[in-house]
Amino acid sequence: MESIRGRLTLWYATALILSIAVFAVVLYVARRSDTYQDLDRRIQSEADLTAGILAESYRARGTLVENDTAGRPQLTPDVAAVLEVVPDYLLVTSRDGRLLFASPDARALTFGEFEQLNAITRPPPLADSHTPGRYGIRPNGPTLHYIVRAAPHAGDQFGAIFAGADTRSAELRLEQLLLTIVIAFFVGVVPAILVGGWLAGRALEPVDRMITEVREITDGRSLHRRLAVPMARDELSRLAETVNQMMTRLERSFAALRRFTADASHELKTPLTVVRAGVERAITRPGVAPETLAPLEETLQEVNRMTELLDSLLTLARADEGRADLHREPVDLREIIEEAGETGELLAEHAGVGIDIRLPPQPLVVPVDRSRLRQLALNLIENAVKYTPRGGQVSVELAGDNGRAVFTVADTGIGIAPGDLPHVFDRFWRADSARTRTSERAGTGLGLAICKWIAEAHGGTIEVQSRPGRGTTFTVGLPRTETTAS
Amino acid sequence: MKILVIEDDKTVGEYVRRGLDEAGYHVDLVGDGDEGLRRASGKVGGGGYDMMVLDLRLPRMSGIDVLRTLRDRGVGLPVLVLTAQDSVDFKVQALRMGADDYVTKPFAFEELLARVEALGRRPKSISPPTLKVSGLVLDTGSREVTRDGKRIELTPKEYAVLEYLMRHQGRVMSRTLITEYAWDYHFDPGTNIVDVVITRLRKKIDQAKEPKLIHTVRGVGYVVRT
Repeated sequence: MESIRGRLTLWYATALILSIAVFAVVLYVARRSDTYQDLDRRIQSEADLTAGILAESYRARGTLVENDTAGRPQLTPDVAAVLEVVPDYLLVTSRDGRLLFASPDARALTFGEFEQLNAITRPPPLADSHTPGRYGIRPNGPTLHYIVRAAPHAGDQFGAIFAGADTRSAELRLEQLLLTIVIAFFVGVVPAILVGGWLAGRALEPVDRMITEVREITDGRSLHRRLAVPMARDELSRLAETVNQMMTRLERSFAALRRFTADASHELKTPLTVVRAGVERAITRPGVAPETLAPLEETLQEVNRMTELLDSLLTLARADEGRADLHREPVDLREIIEEAGETGELLAEHAGVGIDIRLPPQPLVVPVDRSRLRQLALNLIENAVKYTPRGGQVSVELAGDNGRAVFTVADTGIGIAPGDLPHVFDRFWRADSARTRTSERAGTGLGLAICKWIAEAHGGTIEVQSRPGRGTTFTVGLPRTETTAS
Repeated sequence: MKILVIEDDKTVGEYVRRGLDEAGYHVDLVGDGDEGLRRASGKVGGGGYDMMVLDLRLPRMSGIDVLRTLRDRGVGLPVLVLTAQDSVDFKVQALRMGADDYVTKPFAFEELLARVEALGRRPKSISPPTLKVSGLVLDTGSREVTRDGKRIELTPKEYAVLEYLMRHQGRVMSRTLITEYAWDYHFDPGTNIVDVVITRLRKKIDQAKEPKLIHTVRGVGYVVRT
């Protein structure tokens, strides 16, 4: 489950189902034992009632057994008429095992079934004893609960009283109970889970709102925003307050960064201007000896490097704040690429690398910051030449693609290891020293980070593909209509 | 031509003053905004300036305030702003306040001078000069280059490097200065791209010709002279 809401609902549903299931099992087991106890009590009282009737009748008339027309002994008809009303299976046998009475239900049994019951009454039980038992009438007959007892105080003719009831009605009642439980389970649990999910969603809704609000704070410009703190003094309102406090601290540090950016511009650039001024004056004075000029030249170069590094850092610091520091105007990109291409040709000639530059025949006018685009193109071309060994080839191409201008710089150079590829646009990232020819100084490590910023600040993209030993391709896509980076 | 430079950093101010002075301008240097404003308005020192070079970060009164006050008073003096802030919105703000142009610190003096010249260009100096060294002629207007009357085709970078050397003929120009001029100082190719351009220029200008005009100063740079 990906959301807390889903997990809460799942836990809740599991707990609910488990407790209902335990409740249902306990209920069913209790009802089941009750039902069978009822059944057993019933047959017990039927047997006792029969014994009572026989004892009563004996006391009143003495003999209770007479022979029928066929000479078989049977219960006196008027006593039999009294027993006739007893439900279920009731048998009364004589001391020598002959059947004296059978209730209507018992008479309805087949002969085989009847004999099975009759067999249970033999041998007759001792006086005052009760023998309960269960018996399944075969085959596929009902299960009977029965009791066999003696008939004391009724003369010496009686052997056993058998009272039995089948469990079919009890089982039917239990089945109905089970069905009720199952129906109640679904009718109860499904809506409860739905309601539970809805409640969890409702409880977590402020969290979703916070996520949306925090997501809208994308950069330095929207940092002044704060989350709405819920009225209730609960965990969520504390969370919102905590996030707000964190954003206040963030905003303060962003403000400090902004101040630093402004201060650094002045505090670092003014001394650089001073150094530069001195060196430049010395270097351009007529008649300076070459041995004096050389160190001055090196100093000037270092000043430029520092200036460049400082500019890059400040540009990226401002970019972090979300300020797209661009001065856009419609420019034919061919001019920029052509100019950068000439520089590329010079660099390639120096490095012994072939270069070809393909431009579209029609103007490709795009609203861009001219100097930034020049920087982007020069950076990529310079990199391509730098990492291509003598005899390799660099291809520069500009093309109009529906709604986009696509600028590609491909080389047949040493390439970038797959593991390094995700990091090439990181600040201060450099591949291991093997990538750089030892004769050359490494760059600032900010070049590609700046390229990425330039492309994205124009609402465009920059991508890199590379195979070690085969070459690298950088592709820049710029929208032809003005869009700002999100 | 009289230029008022308002810059609180003494070294930078002095550098600008001397540089402009050498280029033939009359320069007054002041160190704060108040003083500068009074001078520009002609209340102190006689006024009569043709241009102002204004640092934006000044004690007591910021450069932006100086500029705004000046424009509010209806003074239309061309103003070149010096700023350490290279963010676009800052430059746009300065231009909106009435600045005519800006130079970002640290700057090459060449750039400052070029902008001062552009701002102060008077009608009579509109026709651009032609640079000559021996038989080599460079017309900065038409960007045409000839040697002994024969036209030489140059690419834009070749032209820029040659123009820079010819403007300072007889003086050794370092590779860094040449790179700064022909590209801009943000571009640091790490290789001596200037050497490649010079090789090409030599092929086009000096090959099979006498005297050789482009000379190498080892470890430093190049010079154009006869």
